[in-house]
Amino acid sequence: MRKNLDPDDIAVALSTLDVHDYGDVLQCMRCGLCLPTCPTYRTDGVETQSPRGRVALIKAVIDGKMRASEEFVEHIYHCLDCRNCQTVCPAGVKAGELVLEARYRIEENRTQPLIKKFLLNYAILDQKRLSKLLAPLKLYQISGLQALVRKYDILKLISDDLQFMEALSPKLPSRPLSEEISEEIPALGAERGRVGFFLGCAMNLIFADTSRATIENLTRAGFRVIVPKEIQCCGTPNIAEGERKIYREMAENTIKIFADRRVDYIVTDCAACGSELKTYREIFRKNPTFVGKAEEFSNKVRDVSEFLDSVWTSDIKLGPLPEIVCFHDPCHLRHGQKLTSPQRNLLNRIPQLDYRELPDEGQCCGSAGIYNITHRNRSMRILQSKIEAIEKTKVETVISSNPGCLMQLAYGARRWNKGWNVVHISEVLNRSLRSGEKTG
Amino acid sequence: MNKTFTSRLEELLGSKKVLSSASELLCYSYDATPLTSFKPDAIVRAYNEEDIQKVLEFATQENIPVTTRGSGTGLSGGSVPVKGGIVLVTTAMNKIIEIDSEDLSVTVEPGVITANLHSAVEALDLFYPPDPGSMKISTIGGNVAENAGGLRGLKYGITGDYVMSLDTFLVDGSKVKYGTKCVKDVAGYNMTKFLVGTEGTIGVFSKIVLKLVPKPKTKKTFLALYDDVIDAARTVSTIISRKVIPSTLELMDQVTINCVEDYSQIGLPRDVVALLLIEADGHPAVVAEEANVIEEACKANNVRTLKIAKSKQESDELFTARRMALSALARAKPTTILEDITVPRPAIPEMMALIREVAGKFNILIGTFGHAGDGNLHPTCLTDERDLDEIHRVHEAYEIIFDKAISLGGTISGEHGTGIAKSKYLPSMVGPKAIELMRKIKACFDPSGRLNPGKIFPIER
Repeated sequence: MRKNLDPDDIAVALSTLDVHDYGDVLQCMRCGLCLPTCPTYRTDGVETQSPRGRVALIKAVIDGKMRASEEFVEHIYHCLDCRNCQTVCPAGVKAGELVLEARYRIEENRTQPLIKKFLLNYAILDQKRLSKLLAPLKLYQISGLQALVRKYDILKLISDDLQFMEALSPKLPSRPLSEEISEEIPALGAERGRVGFFLGCAMNLIFADTSRATIENLTRAGFRVIVPKEIQCCGTPNIAEGERKIYREMAENTIKIFADRRVDYIVTDCAACGSELKTYREIFRKNPTFVGKAEEFSNKVRDVSEFLDSVWTSDIKLGPLPEIVCFHDPCHLRHGQKLTSPQRNLLNRIPQLDYRELPDEGQCCGSAGIYNITHRNRSMRILQSKIEAIEKTKVETVISSNPGCLMQLAYGARRWNKGWNVVHISEVLNRSLRSGEKTG
Repeated sequence: MNKTFTSRLEELLGSKKVLSSASELLCYSYDATPLTSFKPDAIVRAYNEEDIQKVLEFATQENIPVTTRGSGTGLSGGSVPVKGGIVLVTTAMNKIIEIDSEDLSVTVEPGVITANLHSAVEALDLFYPPDPGSMKISTIGGNVAENAGGLRGLKYGITGDYVMSLDTFLVDGSKVKYGTKCVKDVAGYNMTKFLVGTEGTIGVFSKIVLKLVPKPKTKKTFLALYDDVIDAARTVSTIISRKVIPSTLELMDQVTINCVEDYSQIGLPRDVVALLLIEADGHPAVVAEEANVIEEACKANNVRTLKIAKSKQESDELFTARRMALSALARAKPTTILEDITVPRPAIPEMMALIREVAGKFNILIGTFGHAGDGNLHPTCLTDERDLDEIHRVHEAYEIIFDKAISLGGTISGEHGTGIAKSKYLPSMVGPKAIELMRKIKACFDPSGRLNPGKIFPIER
């Protein structure tokens, strides 16, 4: 933790909270209904690691009853931002959003380390830049070095953290999807509309094949797909780390890019991107010249499951997939976008697919952006609970729809030798569509 | 207190179990009771009986208070450390030690979550009926200490009706065991029953044996909608007077219905003035017979619509919505102050009429919900703690409500406990002689007044 913090500055900054007015903080009646749903309270079992605790801490700083100390700041960063607390709070307190607001106000008041500035203010602006940053990892994987390193646990000798990050990294595609795919892909059959596809950074650079499947599913549903190549990051990492200036610039840019393409919908297969893109309307709420455009943009945004569930007519031919599966709801889908039924509706349409419900009421997997790197111990305990919940369903395939979750769950499956196939819902739907075509 | 105090506690128990940072002290200064907050000097998380013993012995040496705490969801301030000292948290003692399905009992540590106990015993076709609103997070230890009720109180009774035996640590760190697993046990004073509801002022529970009953074979859930809250209240007395005791008989008024619907969006009609959530359970033949009586009683009291839940899911949704009522009311205004009066069931219409009257007289917003079937009502003021004039009017209104409850032969607290929140009203409720007797009993167990001080007895200033 950096030692450049002035508690008084932060207290002043917090006292002028504008997104959530003071009433919102007061609305928390401390009933404790959020406790059993909060991943950090479940792992740590202490009040400071709970949503009502975080609300109380922020309120105490605002009221001048507690100093905004280093300890306070650490607590603000313990939250995974899974928003489960917001789903369950009957009083409508937005504890998760309040924490992000606090992070922003904290970061505005302390100097930022170079690496963070490099990543959030520079690298993230351009997916080509990000791609170059991943080049060494790619070389490492294709050169055979990775196999050697994993076999002999070489990294453990250097650094435990490094070894962990190595183990977490998925196999990269040879090239990002944006370099391989054309800007417009026509609909298969009669065209029903124009879909803009928001190609998220992680999907493009890491899960290229998945997004390729997503695009095919969209064209097979009768939509022309437009993939703007010049888009920037959705800004989720910036918001999570309390950065808002570059975030706004990127958001504005993204809104303009899609406005130029004249699309009917904007679809993404990354739950985190979808959740963020839908909140652009809130971000520009106080900007009268831009709020209309932001509103129009956010209204068009759909998660891929949400979209397909609404446009797939009964004549869509789905082939049988005799597999036992479960769906891990990404927090950005279940709590961020409040979507639980579309993904289940779609999976339940696949013949012979044995869908089973995870018995943990939408718990986070512990990935949470870079939380698994910044708070690795707790993240691993949260993951372990998730693995145990999956275990109970006795599935062969674990389905999800967010790159962070997919990496985390795949890592968990490897680490605890579960032998599960961890895949994105687009791939499952694509396999079923293709086999439906053959048999139909 | 000072650094050496916490460091000695850490030495004694290991640093992992002792919390004392500024943030931690703040986060253990409250429970779910509004306008109530006092910081402890340290928090200890007990993992076993030895920890409890060590904390109590240490506190005796240091002459400091100890306040026991479960999940901190109480509504009378029971786990708030009014005089500082140590908060002893039992949530880490969360093992279900034994489910005796031969003899129908369960033995648990105090930190077991109530809902977890429900699912564990129900998997064996057994039933632990007490179901306080906060059961998803409340602990059995806290339920016993507060003698918590719930939605199923009228037919099945409350926590105290299920406690068979208690292992209890006294203030000096010594341990006693009262009660057995026997259905009949009249050896000596019934200390087990006495300890239930003592709100942490007499001892610290470390092991609890609870009675179980067979799980009801079937149930039927009704939703009755009314245009007048008094009609709903009369339905309650009608059902009871016709000798039917439903497993649940809950009331919500319009203010509550709207807040609950804002959150849950399960399609509760917003224009009705009151609703009753009624459930009959047991043998199918009995349930069918009771259902007829319930239907007749609703119709005899001008019910607008009577719906029957079509599936378990629909019934669960209604129950969840009801359990959310208090927290959902919090969305309307910044501060939510609720009360817990209970009156004899025939007096419910009169009590509801008075609540409506004082709300108008003092110009305050009151949402009322509660376990009408056992006469337990939660008139809840939706207010703003920053508006001192309104807060004053709220307190005036409550005084009248309390007086009325007492004059009707009722009580100031049905299930939340006395704690800090209601200690002021206890003397007028039980009289000076009873208070004196209670003080003597307290002094007998805890002469220096270090176990959860500031609770039950009005603070003398």
